[in-house]
Amino acid sequence: MFRYYLLLGLRSLRRNPALTALMVVTLAIGVAASVSTLTILHVMSGDPVPSKSRRLLVPLLDVGPRANYSPDRRDPYMTQSTYPDAMNYLRSGPGVRRTALYGVMASIEPARREDPLIDLSGIATTTDYFPMFDVPFRFGSAWSAADDERGARVAVLSKRKAEAIFGSKDPVGQRIRIWDTDFTIVGVVGDWNPVPRYTNLINGSGGYFEGEEQLMVPLKAATDLAAEPNGNVSCSHESAAGWAAFLASECTWIQAWWELASASDRPAAQAWLDAYVAQQQRGGRLERHAPNELFDVMQWMDFLKVVKPDSKLAVWLSIGFLVLCIVNTMGLLLAKFSTRAAEVGVRRALGAGRGAIFRQFLVETTVVGLAGGLLGLALSFASLALIRQQSKDLSAVAHMDWEMLATTFAIAVLASIVAGLLPTWRACQVTPALQLKSQ
Amino acid sequence: MLHMKDLTKVYRTHMIETHALRGFDIDVKEGEFVTVTGPSGSGKTTFLNIAGLLEEFDGGDYLLDGVSVKGLSDNERSRLRNEKLGFIFQGFNLIPDLDLFDNVDVPLRYRGFNAAERRRRIEQALTEVGLASRMRHYPAELSGGQQQRVAIARALAGTPRLLLADEPTGNLDSQMARSVMELLEQINTAGTTIIMVTHDPELAMRAQRNVHIIDGRASDLRRGPSLVQPHAAIA
Amino acid sequence: MEIRPIFSALMKSRTGPLLVAVQVAISLAILANALFIVQQRIAVSERPSGVAAERDVGHVYVRPLRKLSHPEVLAEQRREAAVLRGLAGVKAVAWTNQMPLSRSGSSSSVRATAEQVHESAQPSQYFVQPGFIQALGLRLVEGRDMTEADVMESDPEKDAEAIPPGVIVTESLGRALFPNESRFVGRTFYFGLGGEQATRIIGVIERLQTTGAQPGEAGEQSVLEPLRISQPGSHFAIRAEPGQIDRVLQEAAETLRKTAPVPVRTFTRSMEVDRTNRYRNEKALAWMLIAVSALLLLVTVSGIVGMTMLRVAQRRKQIGVRRALGARWRDILRYFVTENLIITTGGIAAGLLLALGLNRLLIAYLGVPRLPLEYLAVGAVALWMLGVAAVYGPAARAAGISPAIATRTA
Repeated sequence: MFRYYLLLGLRSLRRNPALTALMVVTLAIGVAASVSTLTILHVMSGDPVPSKSRRLLVPLLDVGPRANYSPDRRDPYMTQSTYPDAMNYLRSGPGVRRTALYGVMASIEPARREDPLIDLSGIATTTDYFPMFDVPFRFGSAWSAADDERGARVAVLSKRKAEAIFGSKDPVGQRIRIWDTDFTIVGVVGDWNPVPRYTNLINGSGGYFEGEEQLMVPLKAATDLAAEPNGNVSCSHESAAGWAAFLASECTWIQAWWELASASDRPAAQAWLDAYVAQQQRGGRLERHAPNELFDVMQWMDFLKVVKPDSKLAVWLSIGFLVLCIVNTMGLLLAKFSTRAAEVGVRRALGAGRGAIFRQFLVETTVVGLAGGLLGLALSFASLALIRQQSKDLSAVAHMDWEMLATTFAIAVLASIVAGLLPTWRACQVTPALQLKSQ
Repeated sequence: MLHMKDLTKVYRTHMIETHALRGFDIDVKEGEFVTVTGPSGSGKTTFLNIAGLLEEFDGGDYLLDGVSVKGLSDNERSRLRNEKLGFIFQGFNLIPDLDLFDNVDVPLRYRGFNAAERRRRIEQALTEVGLASRMRHYPAELSGGQQQRVAIARALAGTPRLLLADEPTGNLDSQMARSVMELLEQINTAGTTIIMVTHDPELAMRAQRNVHIIDGRASDLRRGPSLVQPHAAIA
Repeated sequence: MEIRPIFSALMKSRTGPLLVAVQVAISLAILANALFIVQQRIAVSERPSGVAAERDVGHVYVRPLRKLSHPEVLAEQRREAAVLRGLAGVKAVAWTNQMPLSRSGSSSSVRATAEQVHESAQPSQYFVQPGFIQALGLRLVEGRDMTEADVMESDPEKDAEAIPPGVIVTESLGRALFPNESRFVGRTFYFGLGGEQATRIIGVIERLQTTGAQPGEAGEQSVLEPLRISQPGSHFAIRAEPGQIDRVLQEAAETLRKTAPVPVRTFTRSMEVDRTNRYRNEKALAWMLIAVSALLLLVTVSGIVGMTMLRVAQRRKQIGVRRALGARWRDILRYFVTENLIITTGGIAAGLLLALGLNRLLIAYLGVPRLPLEYLAVGAVALWMLGVAAVYGPAARAAGISPAIATRTA
């Protein structure tokens, strides 16, 4: 019977191509508008590291002075750690791995003066960074813990940058001159592109979604060479001049990460942090006694407002638009079906039950929905391509995945069923007797 | 075949109650060809709608083929219509989107026959009405008489026990009307019971039995050829 | 023309008209809010930076790859400025630590009194020297420009924080520091939240946006500090002859690289590029909303046309009878237009409430401001006119139905 209904549906849709096209197009643009905005939101708010996101923690302390503390006002710039705290975490913090990182900028001096410089934006970090964030290696490997200890002049490059400098051959063992010092390349990172870039949201170049760390060097090597942070520095206390004083200051500019063996170790990590803070307070620091916070990956992205309100606004308005398209299609279907009251009357007289009529018209609206879904999918790809032109950040997030592909279809078919329900129901209400006389 | 006893049907609007049928009795035997006449508003159409299970009634009893149809669900009524009844309408009521084959196919689809059985029945029904060669034409390409023949084929394809016809010749010129009438008589001779509503006294008289409805009540004007004489004498 | 019979005819078959009214309501709700947000974003992106003839201004950044001493850095700054001034097409050059709208730079909290615990504002700190105001064409509205005598020399390796005794503030910063005043010259304020050393306002400029150009007052809170400071990198704001900025910037970078005693890293950006980058997201959202609004109206119009065609089709006979009874062409037209006006008016009434409700939601969840009533009025009028325009076609066709149809049966 389904094939019969399908045949009837197709025939009826062919009968009135302009109206059919109008319904399909209306549904399609409604679907495309909401799917493209939803896709962006979906990617923006996606979990970049589902296997670990609840085990990776960012500790955050309020290091501000007591005098101007008010618990309801949060310093928007204080989102990182001080150097001393970061060092203490690295030495004795909780979890199976710990790292700290800050943004650096470097230029590779060419061998000959006339050649252009190669600029690198990257991070100074520790060896645990690589296994902690599942960073794969194309060539070589991470530096050793001993290199961290010594502040060895070693570097890891991104794949793209390594290719730009050395071509596709293995550059491990080659040297680059940055910060007036020779660094030996120990590794090249393979394809690794978490979206959002949760590891370095604050200081990453290219925004929350786009860009990459082109250079990674040991934290101690960078601080030994006084490589200034390339990113936010927030100082809430007066501090003395010079690099050593800066390192010792209460300025926050390093981001710390802890990896726990299991998400259930979090209370223990919190206890460690509270104990650490209590100990520091005995030494006269952290006089605000503000809550000591831990964020897992999703909480961290939420805290830093990775998803901008504009993206949510766009989703809301486009869903409103989809509702309009559904109401519109509902009206068109109602018009279409009402011209077929005579047919329904005859079919009913010839023995079709209400259910049969309902199924027949439902199949017809579902055909419209599927067509609208397919066209909507095509339009979504087009509109996402258009959105990618808008900004680098958007170009990283405006990508369809399988989940969204399925969602698109579900939305389209659901939309057409919702749109078709009222007209279909109305069609079923046609009483056979009324239509018996002349048309 | 069809037995109605003390049937009533009342139409209500918020102001008025109209008794379309009151104390309506009729008994149609298997194989009969009954014509129904009466002035407009007398209840002819209501009778036919109720007989065809298109409308429900308020009081009394209705046995169709020995089965009481009182209180049947919409679905059960649909099934009965599909299996036991055939309809022919004044306005033909073919579905313009479908060709002749598919029009005749409609009740068979709801019957659940397989494809081969449907094809056999459709071809046979269209052959009976003389339109087998035009199976893939659309209703709009046919004359009124031909359209009514298709409607008859559609009614016959499901081999109904009872054929209900509402002014089947009302929209046709007299020559076409006569040929449609002959076709119906042929069908009746082959064993199908027919009830036909008509305005045309000539057609009404051709049938073996005529029921006249006035003010929602039925009265038999003629029961078989033998009863013609007394009435004629009165007239 | 009487409305009552039209209205009661509408009430008899109300599903179609109701659906159209719902469409009008949704359209109005989204349209009014979307247009308001578009207007807001465009207004934000069109705020003046304070820099005169911005399209002729850009900046070049230069940073040596070797560490230079304090006197070497200051000497380099002087040499670089001189080199840049010598380029063809350059009208003015000024050293600075940062540029407005460039989305990178430093800021500091300030407070009006020493006792104050919380900051009055968090202005962008422009470290500049005499000539900066002229080079950018900023408008001095009170007090005086800085002179060489105001400039303080600072070595960040030695001085913790250099606070010059006299600074120039924007009017917006002045108001944030001293909300009850209209003149700010001579007033003193404090940098940071712990410092004891006051600084005096010597001049007030009308406007200079911050590096972030945040929406609202905060985007114009800037302070010009007369400083000669040996930071590792230098920005030079460059004003070029009209139409030459891109060429000038390119030559500036090349010349600085060629003439530098040690290898240097450079980059350049025109203010136009900075502005585009700064407002990219605003523009993207505005375009998206405009596109949705256009589609919205299109869909609504198609809904009205479709519904009117349906109602005409349903009443062909009736229209024929009316025509036969003497209704003129324009009576029929007027009937459908009036019917449509009733429907759209109902939709608009519901839409006004829906728009305010949507606005409430946007206020609560997304921090959108309150919707001004003009937007509702504009949206309502637009939908009214669109409604009449949409109904005209099918209604005119209905009016063309022949009275002869009345006498045909089928």
